[in-house]
Amino acid sequence: MADLSINFAGIAMRNPVVTASGAFGYAKEYSNVVPLNRLGAVTVKGVSPFPSHGNPVPRTTEVYGGMLNAIGLQNPGIDKFISDENYLPYLRQVPCPVFVNIWGKTIEHYAEVAARLEAEKKGIAALEINISCPNIKEGGIAFGTDLKLAAAVVKAVRDVTTLPLITKLSPNVTHIGDFARSVVDAGSDAISLINTLPSMAIDIETRSFRIANRIAGLSGPGLKPVAVRMVFQAREAVTVPILGMGGIYSAADAIEFLMAGANAVAIGTAIFSNPGCLVEIIDGIDAWLDRHGIANVNNIVGVMHQAQA
Amino acid sequence: MLEQYQISAPILHNQQLHGDYYQLDITAPAIARAAQPGQFIHVQLPAMPDHVLRRPFSIYDVNPTDGRLSIIYKVVGKGTEHISVLKPGTKLDILGPLGRGFSPLPGDIPSVIAAGGYGCAATFLLAKRARVLPTVLLGGRSAGDILLQDAYESLGCQVLVATDDGSAGAKGLVTELLERVLYEAPNSWIAACGPTPMLKAVGMIAESRKLNAEISLDRVMCCGMGACFACVIKRKANTPEKWAYARACSDGPVFKANDIWWD
Ligand SMILES: Cc1cc2nc3c(=O)[nH]c(=O)nc-3n(C[C@H](O)[C@H](O)[C@H](O)COP(=O)(O)OP(=O)(O)OC[C@H]3O[C@@H](n4cnc5c(N)ncnc54)[C@H](O)[C@@H]3O)c2cc1C
Ligand SMILES: Cc1cc2nc3c(=O)[nH]c(=O)nc-3n(C[C@H](O)[C@H](O)[C@H](O)COP(=O)(O)O)c2cc1C
Ligand code: FES
Repeated sequence: MADLSINFAGIAMRNPVVTASGAFGYAKEYSNVVPLNRLGAVTVKGVSPFPSHGNPVPRTTEVYGGMLNAIGLQNPGIDKFISDENYLPYLRQVPCPVFVNIWGKTIEHYAEVAARLEAEKKGIAALEINISCPNIKEGGIAFGTDLKLAAAVVKAVRDVTTLPLITKLSPNVTHIGDFARSVVDAGSDAISLINTLPSMAIDIETRSFRIANRIAGLSGPGLKPVAVRMVFQAREAVTVPILGMGGIYSAADAIEFLMAGANAVAIGTAIFSNPGCLVEIIDGIDAWLDRHGIANVNNIVGVMHQAQA
Repeated sequence: MLEQYQISAPILHNQQLHGDYYQLDITAPAIARAAQPGQFIHVQLPAMPDHVLRRPFSIYDVNPTDGRLSIIYKVVGKGTEHISVLKPGTKLDILGPLGRGFSPLPGDIPSVIAAGGYGCAATFLLAKRARVLPTVLLGGRSAGDILLQDAYESLGCQVLVATDDGSAGAKGLVTELLERVLYEAPNSWIAACGPTPMLKAVGMIAESRKLNAEISLDRVMCCGMGACFACVIKRKANTPEKWAYARACSDGPVFKANDIWWD
């Protein structure tokens, strides 16, 4: 039994395994089959100031090595999120830290959701600022691929909340380190990466796009090497905690991210394949550490940065 | 709270019925006991990374005593092809029972089940647990798409068949049979499962006659648990657009036909 507990931007977590935004709903949906009291933290689906229908269907398709999605950030809006028993009131009883993922179409929207959550912050451990969704027409990735806009979003949110901020970076940039530095300078306490990669799939028989939105985000195993590389580069740029994700399916995958410099890892698509993977990954990290005689999970974080000599 | 399980279920039998249709029996005691008519299971395909997503199948029949659970599936693509060659003893990772199923058929008015293709699997437990047996209408493209006629008849149901090409039963659509049955029994309760155009037609018939109809809608699914919003369908709602997206996997797959917003 290694010590798996971590301190992530001031948040005490029993282990470094977190659910990725959009893959675990608002936690209640999976509560029958996943023991929430085993998880490091849960991240909930992105919340905006207004209710959002999201994109037309089809919204998901399987591709080799993963899946594409263009859900389009469907969500009930901040009013319902705060008041409806299925959302924040439920999340307040969840026996692990809760990260609330937020988004908007304008900088003011981000600040508005953050301010509303600041006023209701009981039971919220941190805000994850999504500046990187490829699936909405306005905002989203535009913020995540412009250094100044990215910093402006983070600053606007920082001004209205004392909650720890985790900024979710877009993989759709050449120099990820610049973005990591920019959002940290603007007041982000941690960063998370990567979001999905903008992609496309075509049904050649019907000459139709497999996803109604045409462009959709790639997630799953095929994303992993890209994500590991970007976590490694982000770690070279900043010292704040990193939540690494992208194609993690096993404890071995998770350990790869930790070695590249992530302090914690998030699991998305793998939950769809196997909700049981969350506990398997936690137990698998523990077993791996024991096998290698490593007493504390923090001891493997970023080791690849020392190993280069 | 709903009862839902993720279990590793050994295959008992996996056999071809005819053509592309197969029946799969597995041992899944907890799910078999909790299953309600119209619910489904979500099946993991073993070979990664070709298949990251599970495949949903309606629960056809269960035996709560010995824990057997059966589905009827049609081979339409790589996932179902993969399942079709699995041998008894192989373990399948399944989630279930998922979704909201059918309301029990009423005991005081007649009821009719309309099913297209493998849709007849989703409605079988409903007929099996009925206090007053429904009339069952089976439709398909041709004789090879008519399934479970014997199974429904052995429950004691009257079964009427329609095929597009007339190779079995009446030539025409299952909805034409429905109109005929409703002519005889105008106050019937309707339950239906099949392709979306058929369900829309059933919905229109029910609406014009002010009848209760419940329909089970087939949507491409991802999580199957209500978490990802992949499987949505437009449901009438108090919004400026007059509709909002509901999740087929957790708000459905069975909906009141009247609640659906047809584009
Ligand atoms: C609630 C529910 C209950 C279902 N019950 C049954 C059942 O009892 N028996 C049965 O045979 N099938 C059922 N289906 C459909 C079944 O899930 C699909 O046929 C299956 O997922 C196809 O997998 P595949 O890998 O073979 O096909 P793929 O290779 O993924 O696709 C092949 C073709 O099948 C189509 N397809 C994929 N998913 C679906 C879907 N969800 N519905 C319709 N077409 C699809 C694709 O558009 C494509 O043309 C049900 C679906 C839902 C949502
Ligand atoms: C269906 C789906 C919905 C998602 N929704 C969101 C979201 O609302 N907000 C967000 O920041 N990321 C969202 N993501 C991205 C994931 O959180 C994650 O960054 C990405 O999927 C990579 O991890 P994975 O390969 O483990 O899935 C979504 C991903 C998927 C597959
Ligand atoms: S398939 Fe995920 S919400 Fe229905």
